Amino acid sequence: MTLSKTLKTLAISAGLGLMLGGLAQAQMAKQPAPPPEMDAWLKAAKLGSYDTGKHDWAEIEKLAMEEGEVIIYSASSRMAKVASAFMEKYPGIKATSYDLGSVKTIEKTVREQNANLFNVDIVTTGGSGQVIHELWAKNRIVNFVPDMFYDRIPAENREPVLIRVLEAVVFMYNGEAYPDQPPVNNMWELTEEPWKGKVVMKDPLQSLTNYMGVATLVQHADELAAAYKRHTGKDIVLSDGVPDAGYEYILRLLRNDLVILKSGSKSAAASGKPGQANPPTSFGAMTYYRYNFSRGLVNAFYKDIDPAAKIIYPTFTAIARQAPNPNAAKLFTAFLLGSTELTAGTKLEKPYKEGRSAELLLGLLPYFEPGSKSPRDDVPFPEGGDAWDAMKAWTVDPDFMFREGPKVRDFWIQESAG
Amino acid sequence: MGEPKGTSIYFQIRRLFNSPERLLAVFFLSLLSLLVITPLVEIVWDALSYQEYDLAYRPEAEVGGFTLFHLERVFTGRLSRALFYKPLVNSLLIGAGVTVLAVSMGSALAWLMVRTDLPYRGFFGAMAVVPYMMPSWVLALAWMTMFKNDRIGGSDGLFTFYFGVQPPDWIAYGMFPIIITLALHYYAYAYLLVSGALLTVDSELEEAGAICGLSRFQRLWRITAPLLLPAIGSAVVLTFIRILGTFGTPALLGLPVRFFTFSTQIFVSLNAGSTGDGYVLAVVLVLMAIVFIYINTRLLGVRRSFVTVTGKGFRQRRIPLGRWRMPLAILIGFFIVSTVFAPLILLAWESLLITPGEYGLGKLTLHFWIGEAGEDFVDGDAGVLRNDQILAALWNSLRLGFFAAAINGVAGLLIGYAIVRTRGSMMSRGLESIAFAPYIFPSIALGAIYLGIFSTGYGPMPALYGTFTLLVLITTVKNLPFTSRTGISALLQIDKSLEEAARVQGISWIKRMFRIIIPMSTSGLVAGMMLTFITAMRELSLIILLLTPSTMVMTGLIFGYESEDKVQHAGAVTLILVLIIIGVNLLVRRFFGDGLTSLRQS
Repeated sequence: MTLSKTLKTLAISAGLGLMLGGLAQAQMAKQPAPPPEMDAWLKAAKLGSYDTGKHDWAEIEKLAMEEGEVIIYSASSRMAKVASAFMEKYPGIKATSYDLGSVKTIEKTVREQNANLFNVDIVTTGGSGQVIHELWAKNRIVNFVPDMFYDRIPAENREPVLIRVLEAVVFMYNGEAYPDQPPVNNMWELTEEPWKGKVVMKDPLQSLTNYMGVATLVQHADELAAAYKRHTGKDIVLSDGVPDAGYEYILRLLRNDLVILKSGSKSAAASGKPGQANPPTSFGAMTYYRYNFSRGLVNAFYKDIDPAAKIIYPTFTAIARQAPNPNAAKLFTAFLLGSTELTAGTKLEKPYKEGRSAELLLGLLPYFEPGSKSPRDDVPFPEGGDAWDAMKAWTVDPDFMFREGPKVRDFWIQESAG
Repeated sequence: MGEPKGTSIYFQIRRLFNSPERLLAVFFLSLLSLLVITPLVEIVWDALSYQEYDLAYRPEAEVGGFTLFHLERVFTGRLSRALFYKPLVNSLLIGAGVTVLAVSMGSALAWLMVRTDLPYRGFFGAMAVVPYMMPSWVLALAWMTMFKNDRIGGSDGLFTFYFGVQPPDWIAYGMFPIIITLALHYYAYAYLLVSGALLTVDSELEEAGAICGLSRFQRLWRITAPLLLPAIGSAVVLTFIRILGTFGTPALLGLPVRFFTFSTQIFVSLNAGSTGDGYVLAVVLVLMAIVFIYINTRLLGVRRSFVTVTGKGFRQRRIPLGRWRMPLAILIGFFIVSTVFAPLILLAWESLLITPGEYGLGKLTLHFWIGEAGEDFVDGDAGVLRNDQILAALWNSLRLGFFAAAINGVAGLLIGYAIVRTRGSMMSRGLESIAFAPYIFPSIALGAIYLGIFSTGYGPMPALYGTFTLLVLITTVKNLPFTSRTGISALLQIDKSLEEAARVQGISWIKRMFRIIIPMSTSGLVAGMMLTFITAMRELSLIILLLTPSTMVMTGLIFGYESEDKVQHAGAVTLILVLIIIGVNLLVRRFFGDGLTSLRQS
């Protein structure tokens, strides 16, 4: 009795400890006071605590022209298109985007700043855990929200760091082979015999997006357990040494001969190539749906798959610490969010990249496609993009990623080797 | 310790400045220690201390503090099987398989070419070295085009397209195709080394055997083979170490069936940010290479040569193949076709497809070569001949090849000079070993080491990560073993007396170099530079971790296109790269003789 009581107390306090630990972690993600040289820069650039929330855009543009340049580290190759559109609008400012991928964007920023090199103005990348905990909470980036968009962006999309675009990881199937309805309705079906060797994804060890997707599945272990019960009518029995239904799901996917590919394009092509007799299901970024238009694929979303149809991950944008061109960086940030004239009622016509649509979308343009969503709540969806709102979502949690992510990754390494 | 130390040191320093060869030796010794030894020490240190990302496991740990945490993870922890033991076994199996296959094919080919009356030897000889000039993973790309099956979904391979049958997984991916494709690339080493050695074997030795009543096979086995043992031994070492460090082919063909090797695990660890694990693996790879070289030298003896060149008459007699002549020629022809022409034709074909997987002749286009950028056709990329990105990468590749070759040529000559002219001293031996050291670093491990070292600045030296200089630096260092070897052998042929004569007349060292040494070693020098150029142009494993968009080279671009499933672009760019390498090689051969023969001396 006493023993079990003690154990219980222990368990509760351990649980509390975990929760508190979680709270402490969440609290840890706080920006500390800036060091003096950074503070001086913040003051001169009117950023951080010197940012009044009111911006004089004529002044900013004038100063930006004097700076004449803006350097962007980005995890998206499409950022180069934004940069050239920006240069068309502001011919005096040279915008250079380095497409580094998320891992290297973060790594390069950290390493350069550690070496006291301050070269970059804008850092825009996904990787929730690291962006919040390793960049923002360590004063490596500064949040900046252009005042005209403040009320048009929900708080969770601009605090603590402004989100540039929301995207999602989803399951996709071949819409030609299954024209009427998706082949499965519950995620657990994909771990069963008929789908052996028939689920593909880009290696989460080489893709931050899928890594976040997989980790967020693990995070929602309880809901996965409930979905299992809905599917089989029984409680799930965990394999040896597996802590919860989240990890169990990953394990069973892998044991069901999950096919790991090197790239998202290949994974999208695997499920979406037309003319396949027995096409696989793919797990990956929703934006690969664009290949339906540019490469003739026939992918479709599992819109109602139980327990959740999409995992939302944000791409952040912030001004780098001691950026050499802070005003050009501000101007570029505003450009990324589109025109103020764009509203929920605006009708945008295809092709979006021409004429009035392009003028309204500005920096949103390359990301204006099904599977992406602007952080603003007043931007209409592109054609085919309204599935977004209908699909039940989980959102990647920076704190969970930071705390548990590495363990999920290790679990993957261990189990994927077979 | 004690007595006339002061005068002695003073004397030593004066002596140093009076002899340029000593000065050079000291200079290169310190430079190479900096570039080769310190990096190794540094990553060993990183592997043994806490890094920022370890905090998820050990929140109480202090970053930079000493720990065996990474060693535990890699060698004994739950992850060790996935991270270390399985990839180790896979790497060793691949290494052994490829080495056996490549060395036997290369040696057999060498024997046929040098010692028999095989027809079309000139043509075969020229073609046999072409695989060496291609990136090692070109064959893997071609293999994928040919044999990929529906396991990875997407478009069909050529085999399925024409025969309607899906090749089984073991043919399409994993160990089997990795060994085959790598062996078909790396046989060139064995071929060059063994044919070089065969050229020095007097056929009278074999005839003597014949007189003693040995059969043809016995002669080959008991006389020729032992004489070739050192060359074959070098080929074994060279091939095996290369395979341990090779990344492209296992990454392409292994992943779909979750077949991981050491090199792919290093890549993944470093890319995912757990550098500690990656560095532990990299150090293990270096140690394995050292052990392997040690065993090899012990087995073959330290002096790796037999005296075969004597003052007596030297003759090469070709053995008539008789009725085997034509069948063997056809076999070799088939071999050349499948290793040289087939991959290139497949790549060209692939670059012309409108839709990947549809190989019909009516469904070809030149769009991916000359098309303009436009939406709705594979992401709207322009054809390769109009694509700025590709032209920039081509320019980078050429610059990289040129600079690395030029620097290496000069450094190789000077190092050779310093070693040969200070021969017998500790310094000479030290320099010779350290110039050879980069050879034992498997490519991907050296890349990992340089990524770690040069991403921050040291004193006056800025952080080199992301710069073109770093690519030139690592390529130069990695190729130094070859060029310093050619430097040494070139200098050994120039007797000291020539220089002494000039010295007596008061001709300065600089002048002596330009008037005597350089002109007399041009051919060796050019050969060394050519080798560096070829290697630099086709290298991926070495620099994959160091590439950034602004320093992108052709091989990195191809890897990227392949990843993005832009098969037409990947095919076209690979073809351009290979043709340029072959073209430059032909050009140089035209002016300076055979560039690849130098490998025979290393």
